[in-house]
Amino acid sequence: MIARELKEEVYNCIKCGLCLTPCPVYKQLYYEAASPRGKVQLIKSILEGKLEPSKNFHRLLFTCLLCETCTVNCPSGLKVDRLMKAMRAELMDTFGLPWQKQTLFRLLKSRRLLPFFLFWGRAFGDTLLAFMPKGKKLGTIPYSKFPRLNPKALRAQYPEEVKVSQPRGRVLYFTGCATNYLFENVGRSVIDILQNLGVEVILPRGQMCCGLPIFLAGARKMALKNIKKNVELFNRDDVDAIIVDCATCGAALKKEYAHILEEMGENPDGARALGKRVLDISQYLVRFDLAKVLKPMKARVTYHDPCHLLRSQGVKEEPRILLKHIPGVEFVEMAGADVCCGGGGTFQWEHPDVSAGISGNKVKSIKESGAGIVASGCPGCRLQIYGNLGEEAIEVVHPVELLAKALR
Amino acid sequence: MLSQEVLKKFESLVGRDRLRTSPEDLQTYAYDAYVLEYLPDAVLFPKTTAEVSQIMKVASTHKISVTPRGGGSGLGGGSLAKKGGIILCFTMMNRIVEINAANRYGVVEPGVVISEFQKEVEKLNLFYPPDPGSATVATMGGAVLMNAGGMRGVKYGVTRDYLMGLEIVLPSGEVMNTGGITAKDVTGYDLTRLLCGSEGTLALVTKIIVRLLPKPKTRRTLQAIYNRIDDAGNTVAKIIEAGIIPATLELMDRMIIKALEDFAHLGLPLDAEAVLLIDVDGDPETVEKQAARVADFCKSQGARDVRVSQSEKENEQLWVARRSAFGAVARLRPTCVIEDATVPVSYLTSAIKRILEISQRNRVQIAVLAHAGDGNLHPLILCDQRDKEEMERVEKAMSEIVDYAMSVGGTLSGEHGIGIAKAKYLPRQLSPTALEMMRAVKKAFDPQGILNPGSFLEYQA
Repeated sequence: MIARELKEEVYNCIKCGLCLTPCPVYKQLYYEAASPRGKVQLIKSILEGKLEPSKNFHRLLFTCLLCETCTVNCPSGLKVDRLMKAMRAELMDTFGLPWQKQTLFRLLKSRRLLPFFLFWGRAFGDTLLAFMPKGKKLGTIPYSKFPRLNPKALRAQYPEEVKVSQPRGRVLYFTGCATNYLFENVGRSVIDILQNLGVEVILPRGQMCCGLPIFLAGARKMALKNIKKNVELFNRDDVDAIIVDCATCGAALKKEYAHILEEMGENPDGARALGKRVLDISQYLVRFDLAKVLKPMKARVTYHDPCHLLRSQGVKEEPRILLKHIPGVEFVEMAGADVCCGGGGTFQWEHPDVSAGISGNKVKSIKESGAGIVASGCPGCRLQIYGNLGEEAIEVVHPVELLAKALR
Repeated sequence: MLSQEVLKKFESLVGRDRLRTSPEDLQTYAYDAYVLEYLPDAVLFPKTTAEVSQIMKVASTHKISVTPRGGGSGLGGGSLAKKGGIILCFTMMNRIVEINAANRYGVVEPGVVISEFQKEVEKLNLFYPPDPGSATVATMGGAVLMNAGGMRGVKYGVTRDYLMGLEIVLPSGEVMNTGGITAKDVTGYDLTRLLCGSEGTLALVTKIIVRLLPKPKTRRTLQAIYNRIDDAGNTVAKIIEAGIIPATLELMDRMIIKALEDFAHLGLPLDAEAVLLIDVDGDPETVEKQAARVADFCKSQGARDVRVSQSEKENEQLWVARRSAFGAVARLRPTCVIEDATVPVSYLTSAIKRILEISQRNRVQIAVLAHAGDGNLHPLILCDQRDKEEMERVEKAMSEIVDYAMSVGGTLSGEHGIGIAKAKYLPRQLSPTALEMMRAVKKAFDPQGILNPGSFLEYQA
């Protein structure tokens, strides 16, 4: 059931409409039911029993990136995104999951299936991709622009504790699926930098997918095991911080876990305690004097704010500070850096037209900035931006990859 | 209810995507920013004048009610289908057709969002001043039909003052032009300005020509804090009387200061009764002089603290308070009714005092925000629309505010319009003859009465 506190939220909407124009989805579709105000009013009607939760309504619930722009723009302080998320969970039993999501989530919730998939994916994936018709896309992203799987999972490449002599710090590293299986260079960069700064890195064995793609699709029960396991594994007092390199995992660990457990009637205390100690890698790194360890590199770099970092976690300046720290880097702010890239996890293949429109604006801003490199600390944004850049010779990286490249 | 035949015709005109009839779509076009709701029978999204014209031909043939709508940020139910029928929503007809720097005018389609048009003209060093609080949502078409005002009204006037010409579609479907692109034009009746503020009762606007100004070179913001609200009110009257024309002159009362401090911690003193926020703009030399003079006025009227910004960045910092005010107050209670009774500026102080008195007597929570420079009050009435007894007290307080405004030569509504929210007060301001005259004009444009039925014109006491 939807928490009482959230139910009351719908009455705080004064229907002013200030959420309309900032909403990237509304700005593509221009009809009210696609807007945050429209969805809140529909949820209100449903909660009051005046409207049946139809298939069309269910489709509208998923015509949303959960980018949280409405929530931060709402003058009445409505937590629109939380209402949407709770409603998705509420309708799970009625509408279920499409088979594609079922398959994907089964993979993500399991500790054994993922490495298995990595092995076979690695063996046959490239061959399979080569057979895909040229120019074909999954959602908005051409198959040719999907990253290859890591030859070996990142966590399998390191011991559980990466030691340094005379440690100046000690962190737990939540690697997330993307870094572990797709973007190993991000993980290596994180570990390189931290080693360079004299920080010991612990990669707890048995960590699971953060579960965010699963529970944001409404399948909260399915994600419960992941949440509980991660909370148990990472709630340790013998470290300075728990670091995350992925905006999405960070949002899950920092706040979504506690919300979900609470709304499901589970005990949220462990998750809340954990949430307070989780830091995005950029938040952790700004504590150090990086000038000492970096050498100059020549590049014009811009930065894209991931929704899960900017709005979910309130992290805006730290990644920019880090990029500006690299000697020789010319940092340029693109127009609308804080606007969603249009990816939204599975949104981009459920609504390819809307997604492509939003991504098109992002790509335009990137090109106009004149940067040769876009940095962004989110694997989802990275996939989306790279996938929509077309033939443009612009690199898309995680900020830590640039930092690692500039290490002396 | 619309017949299948009519729906088919509409579908053949705009296609399936732009004719929406699902329960979810009807439900989400049943409201604007006012409290009451009315379900339409269908929502259509035209993209061209030709489509609008054809839709109106079908509507007039079948006598179907048509209510135009833009962003849906109206505060009076003006854009709701009070008698059913179709909502003609212009959000998809949203191109900026032309920005002509040589002759300083712009041409837009009705669905263009005001703030987005402003952004575009400012790139060319031009300026479109009308800036209602809803500028980031409201459309140019809505602004024209409601004659929207805003904070810059005191110096720059309202939407009407920038309108040069319109392309309209009459209820019959006929397309007609009014005005033009010249700065002066006295040919015939001024139908352009008649349509402005007509609340969608006369014709549909499909193209808008507006006058643009050169963008002011500099702007300085002043913040003055007062122990006594009277002193703030008197400062406003003195500034206007002295012939200084600030670009904006905003007032916030104690309750707003408190809400702001609770919500945003801006460092405003909690024992202050009022804050004035004043902008002066123009050429750098003039602005410097004016800012100093305004600061002196504030001090001489008893301001306890006056800050004058030194840069555009500092302007913005001072404006944070005003920009956050509505949100900070709105979150105190579920419902927030925004009043807009307006008085001659010399009555500002007594009007504010009267509102506070009305608030106490009726036990209704009211925070006072005002576009003080033009006497445009925005009492924010905080309540919960689910509480019937409380809403009755709110109604009573509103009625008393209106009565007071009338008694000093003010108006029912400075900028929000009448819609259905204030229709019942109309006879207090307009004589039976004036109302009859308006109805006759309506008849000339819309003999069948299919445009925005249930509007203010039809109110019967």
